[in-house]
Parts: sequence; C-alpha cells; structure tokens
Amino acid sequence: MGCGLGVMCASVPAYALWPFGGKQSAGADADDIIGRVFKGDAPETVWKWSREASFYQNVDGSTVRCGICPHRCMLAPGDRSVCRSRVNVGGKLYSLVYGNPCAVHVDPIEKKPLYHFKPASRAFSIATTGCNLRCLNCQNWEISQAKPREVRHVELFPDQVVSQAIRTGCASIAYTYSEPVTFYEYTRETAQLAREAGIANVLVSAGYINRAPLLDLCRWIDAANVNLKSFSDEIYRKLNGARLQPILNTFQTLNEQGVHFEMTNLVVPGYVDDPDMVRRMCAWILEQLGQNHPLHFTRFFPKYKLDRLAPTPVSTLERFRELAMAEGIRYVYVGNVPGHSGNHTYCHNCGKCIVERQGYFITANHLESGRCRFCGTTIPGVWS
Amino acid sequence: MKSRDDQYVLRLVVATGIASVVTQLLLIREYLSQFQGNEFVIALILFGWLSLGAAGTYTAGRIATGSGWISPSRGKLGWLSLLLAALPVVVIFSVRLLRDTVFLHGRSVGFYDTAVFVFSTLCAYALLVGFLLPFSLYVLRARAESDPTRRVYIADGIGDMAGGALFSFVLVFLVSPMQAVAVTGTILAVLAVVVAVSDSDHPPRRIVAGAIVCASVLAAGMVLERWTLSPTDGSSLVEYRETRYGRITVFRDHGQVTVFQDGAPTFTSGDIVTAEEAIHYPMSQLEKPEHVLLISAGSGMLRELEKYGLQSVDYVELNPDVAEIQFRYGLLHRIPGLRILYRDGRAYLSQTSKRYDAVIVCLPEPDTFQVNRFFSDGFFRMVRKRLTRTGILAFSVEGFENYLGEAQRQKVSSLANTAGLHFSYRLLLPGQRIHFLFALQPLNPDIPGLLAARGIPTRYIGAYFQGNVTRERIAQLDALVDASAPLNTDLSPHLMRIMLGQWFAKHAASPTLFLWAVGVVTAVYLIRIHRPQWVLFTTGFVTMGSEILVIFAFQIFFGYVYLQIGLIVTVFLAGLIPGALLTACCGFAPRRALLISDGLLALLAGCFAWMLHTSSAAPPALAFWGFGFMVSLLCGFQFPMAVSLAGGEKAAGAAFSADLMGAALGILITSTVLIPNVGVVWAAALLGVLKIVSLVSNGIYGTNQQT
Repeated sequence: MGCGLGVMCASVPAYALWPFGGKQSAGADADDIIGRVFKGDAPETVWKWSREASFYQNVDGSTVRCGICPHRCMLAPGDRSVCRSRVNVGGKLYSLVYGNPCAVHVDPIEKKPLYHFKPASRAFSIATTGCNLRCLNCQNWEISQAKPREVRHVELFPDQVVSQAIRTGCASIAYTYSEPVTFYEYTRETAQLAREAGIANVLVSAGYINRAPLLDLCRWIDAANVNLKSFSDEIYRKLNGARLQPILNTFQTLNEQGVHFEMTNLVVPGYVDDPDMVRRMCAWILEQLGQNHPLHFTRFFPKYKLDRLAPTPVSTLERFRELAMAEGIRYVYVGNVPGHSGNHTYCHNCGKCIVERQGYFITANHLESGRCRFCGTTIPGVWS
Repeated sequence: MKSRDDQYVLRLVVATGIASVVTQLLLIREYLSQFQGNEFVIALILFGWLSLGAAGTYTAGRIATGSGWISPSRGKLGWLSLLLAALPVVVIFSVRLLRDTVFLHGRSVGFYDTAVFVFSTLCAYALLVGFLLPFSLYVLRARAESDPTRRVYIADGIGDMAGGALFSFVLVFLVSPMQAVAVTGTILAVLAVVVAVSDSDHPPRRIVAGAIVCASVLAAGMVLERWTLSPTDGSSLVEYRETRYGRITVFRDHGQVTVFQDGAPTFTSGDIVTAEEAIHYPMSQLEKPEHVLLISAGSGMLRELEKYGLQSVDYVELNPDVAEIQFRYGLLHRIPGLRILYRDGRAYLSQTSKRYDAVIVCLPEPDTFQVNRFFSDGFFRMVRKRLTRTGILAFSVEGFENYLGEAQRQKVSSLANTAGLHFSYRLLLPGQRIHFLFALQPLNPDIPGLLAARGIPTRYIGAYFQGNVTRERIAQLDALVDASAPLNTDLSPHLMRIMLGQWFAKHAASPTLFLWAVGVVTAVYLIRIHRPQWVLFTTGFVTMGSEILVIFAFQIFFGYVYLQIGLIVTVFLAGLIPGALLTACCGFAPRRALLISDGLLALLAGCFAWMLHTSSAAPPALAFWGFGFMVSLLCGFQFPMAVSLAGGEKAAGAAFSADLMGAALGILITSTVLIPNVGVVWAAALLGVLKIVSLVSNGIYGTNQQT
C-alpha cells in the first residue's frame, strides 16, 4: 500500500525543510538562491548620485516594476530591488549609483578576458555596488552583495569617467567587476559620451538583462565578455541565483546586433565539469551563435561561500578545450592557468600560433590587418 | 550483593564519563571538519553540548524523582547506557551524511545554519548524557543509606578525566573515530549489560539481544567509516588521516592532488600563483640570501626557493603529517640545505640563535587563537630579533580583487601597524592574497624587474604582475591603511574580533540575535535557581572560562605543544576528585565553605590576571597547571557542598544542571566575547569579578536568612 508520507519524503528535498534555508528557498523552487526584494529598505529621499531609472513601469500609481533584468522586481514605495541599487521613492524608480563607483582601476583588456578585442590595450574599469545575481563563488562579493551606502565611493560622473580614461591612455572603458546591468543608466550615459570621444566601451557581465534595455545598450557597446556560468538551469539557480534562458537570450541579442563578444565558462568542480553538459553547450553555441565567438574555460579557485571545493584540475580545462574545438568552436582558451599554451590564439585555418601571450603581455603577434600572416585567413575580432 | 551492584553502577558512571568525553572530542573534530573552524564555532559546539547536557540533567530531576513518571532502576539505567554506547556512530554518520544533504556541497555555512545543525544532530546524545548522570545517582539513592552524590560526582570526574587522557594520549594517535567509539562503546555496553542483568525485573535475554544490536552498530561504524568520507563529485579519496591537530584528507581529480585540512582545501598541486607570490615577493628584495626560515609551506614553494641557491632552508611545520603528505604526493620536493623541524614556529623562534635573511610565514587566515599567534606583536618582535640587518619578514592574508572591504581594511591596518612597530619599511602587495613585506631597509615594488635582473624565471609574476599588482593598486592599498587601527597583541587579539566580524558579514548574519537569545534564556534560568545553584553556575562559568584562558595563554607563551594542551585539559578535570574528597574532611558548614571557596576562586583568577599582566617572559609552566588544578579542586569541592546546602531529592539534578549551564556560558562568553574584546588579562580579571559577585550575593543571602 502506498504511503502518502513516503511520497512527500521522496519529493521534498531535505534542505527544503531546513529552518534557515540551507539552500535558501526563496524562489519558485526550494533549492534556488535567487535574491529577494528588500522590503521597506529604501532611503527616505534620494541622494546626489540618484537618477530616475530607465525601463520601468508604474503599475498602480505607487508600485513600480523594474524592467532592466528578468527579476522584474515589483517595488512598493520604500522597497529596494534584488540588485540593491534601485529603489522606489515616491512612486518613482531610482538608481542610487549614478556617478558613484566604488572600484576604479586601469586593467589590461586581456584581464576581462577579451582576447580578440584591441589586444594589449588598457581598459579604464569601473564598478558600483550591487548585482542581480547571488553567485556563491563571487570574487567581488564585498561590492556586489552590498548596498551603496555600505561601501566607500568616489564621485565620477560620466564626463569625468571619459576624461580620466583619456588621461590614463585607455582605449576603452570597461563596465565590470560587479554587474553593469545594475548600474545600467550610468553605463549607458558614460558609454554614449565615450563613443563621442572615440573611446570604446566594454561590458563585462553575467548577461542577466532583458532584451529592450540590452538592445538600447548595444548601440553604444563595442565588446562584451559575458559569463555563461553553466548550461544547466538547475545549476544557475543553485550557484548563481539566476535562470539560464535569459542569459541565452542575451547572447542571441548580442549576436544579432553584431557586438563583438566572448564567452567565459568558469568550470566549478562537481557542478560545471560535466562533459555532456559542455557538449550540449557547444552545440547550442554553434547552432545559435556560430563558430567565431571565443570561448574561455577558466579555472575555479575556492572563493567566498564556495570555499570548500578543490580548484579545477588543469586537465579538465584542457579536455573541455579539446572537446569544444572538436565540436567546431574555433577559438577556445584556457583561463586562470599561467603559462598555459591554451592562452595563445591559433589560426582556425592553418593552425599556427598567431597571437602568443604571456599573461597580459603579447609576446608575438602574427596578425596583419586582422588576418593570419601565414595563410591570410580573416580572424574574427576587433584587432586595432 | 547490594554494595557490589552499587559498585557496578559507579563503574558504569565512570564508563559513561569516558565514553562521553571521547565522543565530545570526536564530535568537536567532526563538526570542525564539516564547518568553519573558528573560535565561535568551537564555542558553539561546546555550548551546545553543555547546555543540552544541562537540559538533560534538569529533565532527570523532573521526571525521575519523587512522583516522576520514570522510576529509577538498574534495568532502565542499563538500557539507556546501551543506547548511549551505540549513539555516537549514528550521530557522527548523520553529521557526515547530512552536511551535503542539507547544505550545498562545497559551500561554507554561516553561524545560524551551523548552530541549528549542531544542536539538531547533537541533541539526542547530549540530552542522554546529561540525563544519565543524575539518573545513576537516583538509582543508587533509591537503595543507599547515605547520600551517594559525592561518590557519583567522583566517579563521573574519574571517567571524564580518564576519557580526556585516553583520547589525548592514546586514541588520537592510534585509531580512527569509529574505532575510538567502538573501544569506549564496548566498555560502556559491557557494563550496561552487567548493571541491567543485576536488576531482577529485566529479563537477561532482552538485554543481551540489545547488546548484540549495539555491537552490530559499533561494527557497522568501523566498516562504513571510509565510505562516509568518500567524495560525490567525481574525485577520489586517496588518503585519510586523523592527526592530533585535525583531519587530513587527500583527493585526486584527473591527476590534480588537493590536500584538505578539516574540510577546507589548503594545498593543491600545480598552484604556481601561491608559490611564486609567497616566495619571490620577499626573496626578490634580497641581494645575497643564504638562510631562510619557512613557517609552514605549501605546494611548489620549496621548488621556487631552490632557484636562489640557499645555504639553508629551515622548514618548521607543526603537524608532521602535513609535511609528510605534501612530500609524498609531490607537492613539496626536497632541496639542498633543507631541514624540516616538526615543532611550533614560535617555540622554535624563541629558542634558536640562528639568524635568517628571510622569515616567510605561510599560514591560513588568523581566525583562530592558534594561528593568531603568528600575526601578533610578540611574534613580529621575535622575528625581528632573528633577522639579519637586511632581512625581511613576509606573510599574507586573504586578498581582494578590486575593492577592499571595511573589515578587511581594518585587518590589514591592524597587521600593518603591529608589524610596523618593529620594522622601518613596509610594502603591501594586493592580489588574491595581500602580501606584507617588512624590513629595515627600503623595499622595491618592482618585483618583476628585480627578478629579471637576477635571472630568476617565473611563470606567473613576470606575466601577470603588471596587470594584477599595478603601482596604482599598490598605492591605493597603502593609502587605505588606517594608522589608528588597534594593534594585535598576544594578550589582546584584536584581529580575532575582526575575523569573526568578517565571517558574520560574509554570511550576512550577526551574532547579536544569538547572544540576546542566550542572555534572555540565561536570565530566566538564573531567576529560577537557588543560591547554591547560583554558586555552582558561576563556578562552572569560571572553570570553563579559565580553561580556555589557560590554553590560550599557554599557547602564547610556550607554543602549541599538543601533549601539554592535553595535560591542561586533564589537570582541569584532575582537581575535581580531590576537591570532592576534601568535603568529607572539611570541618566548615556548607555555606561558609562555599563562601571561602568562592573567595579563593576570585583570588585565583585575580592572581592569574596579575601574573599575565606582569610577565614580560613566559611564566613557569607549573603556574598554569597549578592554576588549573586549583580551580578544578575548588569546583570539585563546591559541588557536594552546594548539593548538601540545597537539600532535597531534586537538588542533585539541579546542581549538575547549574554546573553545566555555567560551564556552557563560560566557554561561550570567554572565548567569543571576553578574549577578543578585552584581551586575556581583563578576561581573567572579569572571571574573578564574577566570583566576587557570587561571594557577595551568597553572603548577603546568608545574612538575610540569619536575620
């Protein structure tokens, strides 16, 4: 005879019964870590670095719905968004981080990583607080999982960002470190000014953004590195607090709009190191995006809350690189492994090494006007 | 017959003490292997153990005395003891198996999750242990002509002491956790059967059947032990050791070897970045280095040192198994001039006369008292004395990618200020780890340039330094150092407080709610207890608080010498028995005896604080042992006195309960609130003040009663 309790026990995971939400049951499923709206957490008044947000709807005169990312946060007056940087004050949605970055650095473009975009150039890199994801292995959790008033800032409005980028000799401005989707208005207006000043714009993102704001941003963005953290919706929910499909949509939009982009897949042992999943991911990339977008398999190191796992074995990255290339992706790299030959660029036609890298340095460049010096094949990317 | 049966019950109490202390120590290690190993978690485990034990003794007082619904009998005692013998297997397995069921594999867990998990998995065992002690007393009392409280207390003390000694000096070296449980469980089970059989109301066949089930569980524990540690993520467990300092497991995954210590990955093969940063950052600053001291070492570091052609490399490692495993699996390689010293780094530095060109510290984050000793003013002073004129000190802490959080900034500032007291120049290098270099001569931040000039090849530094550790980032980090940040001294470990705060911040939690909850429960409890129990409560508090203080202070002055730490723990139990025996020949009335012993405890704590405050060098080790023995002696003395003063059948259960509650709070408050916030000296003084409060309140109570 069937046992009702037994059915329940079989279908309800143990952590769903955990009082503190061991795996943070917050969304539709018990095991996801998707963030929640912060009820009644907004400041009473906006501040100097606030701007009325783009892409939101006023639902009933006081409640607003943010349209920037797939969370589509529904915020009553006084509420703060999942990403922590948008608030409803008096029935209007405001971004709290406009012109107020907390991290400002000059980085090599290869650090983003972008290997097919203006090699050996420098990117003026900015970030504000906040992120719409909850990655357990976040490298920048002290800013991504913080509210604007919890960290130190510098004042740097869009025109100042552009002039500083010019002053420091940077070829591009990178919107990076935390998540530029959450400082959308700041990114967009800075990018517009940068374009006018002849500076390129680089988006480094998890790609959790809706189509309409992304389409608008694509007008100003020259290159992007977007994380494809896994090819499993379940893993996205468990490790990142997001869903897979919106990110796939982002790739399709970038591809359709002709933005140069590269993909990064952080190989987390025990979660993202399944060869079958990588095979499926490659098949989707080939079918939807084509062969030419570079793919970086990067090595995981224990970080933040995911600090009780071993680093990724280098041989796993090598295996995935071979697998992806065998599937048909032309430019596949191994990241976070110093001195590895998988850091170099090899011509997809003749197989010769055309860009040799030692870390962030280019030690040999056999490209001429974007073509392989050995066989003349055009190499996809923005090379000058 | 009657006295022989009573003797069996007392032997069962001894066996229960042995088994429970061994299980307690095993569970502490188990929880530390599954969760974060900081002082808050250690205190939480002990707090859970003792407070649940207190609840068990309280329950025994309620349900097994007078008209309570369980009448004490040897048969029931035997059955419950049999259950206790088998239960550790279930508890340890449930801790191991539920960890990755309740929480995501590989994810660290915050304070509240840890607390609920610890209390949930611990409660059955701790409640039963707490219940059994007074229950044994009631079994004896039902037939005894004289009050057996003192005999039971002494038997429990003997069992606890023997359990502590057995584990610290024998089992930890020889057997695995399940084998240890089998040893103590078998002794307990045999005595349980003997006691139960002596009860004519219980048929022997049933208890023998129960014993067979118990033996099967203990055997299953040993058979399945390794399986419970096997990974589920595709890697394979190639080495498993329970060392005296904790658990070491080694996993192999597609040729990569990773060494885990207490569940956290510490060394991985092919970790070039860590090895190059730790070695070349300091070594590049030296013109002609000859002698280097490494305090611990990780994968690839000796290979990097070899590039400098040194005359001697002294590698000090506290845990011999850590070094042995790294050599065996090819993470470390023997190089010319290498000398391996298996001892405490501070103890070595305080005794050697050798001078070094570089002292390189490769230790994990200073989030425990043990590791904090290598990031303190006292340690930096020692290093300074052992460095040559051009010598350099290097150490590192967790780094940051692009933004230095406030807690991290305070940590960096405290370290920079503390080490800065002994060195004229500093260089802070940001990255995945923040590297601190200190010297008496100027330091050059152009590490790749220095290495290139000397022809030292690197794979990481030469290629990535200029992108990850730019001059701009170095300048930003240096500018963030807060010159007013407090120093991290041996006796006042400021860094510990920051580290605990950082841990709570990482998990978006705060200890405030927990401490308030503990405060409210304690307040309610204190309102309900009588004065003699209040005395025992404060004594339990002071005893466990003192034990933590002595262990910490001993480590500061003598280094982490495992056997001597075991000795301290044993000494803190050893005084209980003579203390209890002393009550028989003491001529004082119970109240007066309590007042005098309270006064002596306060005086002892005051003297200990004074000794630490005035000691420029290490006080004699005998002073620590003597202090521990005297504290436990007075604790053992007070217990029968307080029970006698309280009178009544339920008094013993309530007294045990008060002692355990005090002990639980003593360990929690001393290690997580007092020491990190006010330092060791003031913590000792405050323990003395608590005893004065007990003395005064008890004295006033006595006076009021007389009037």
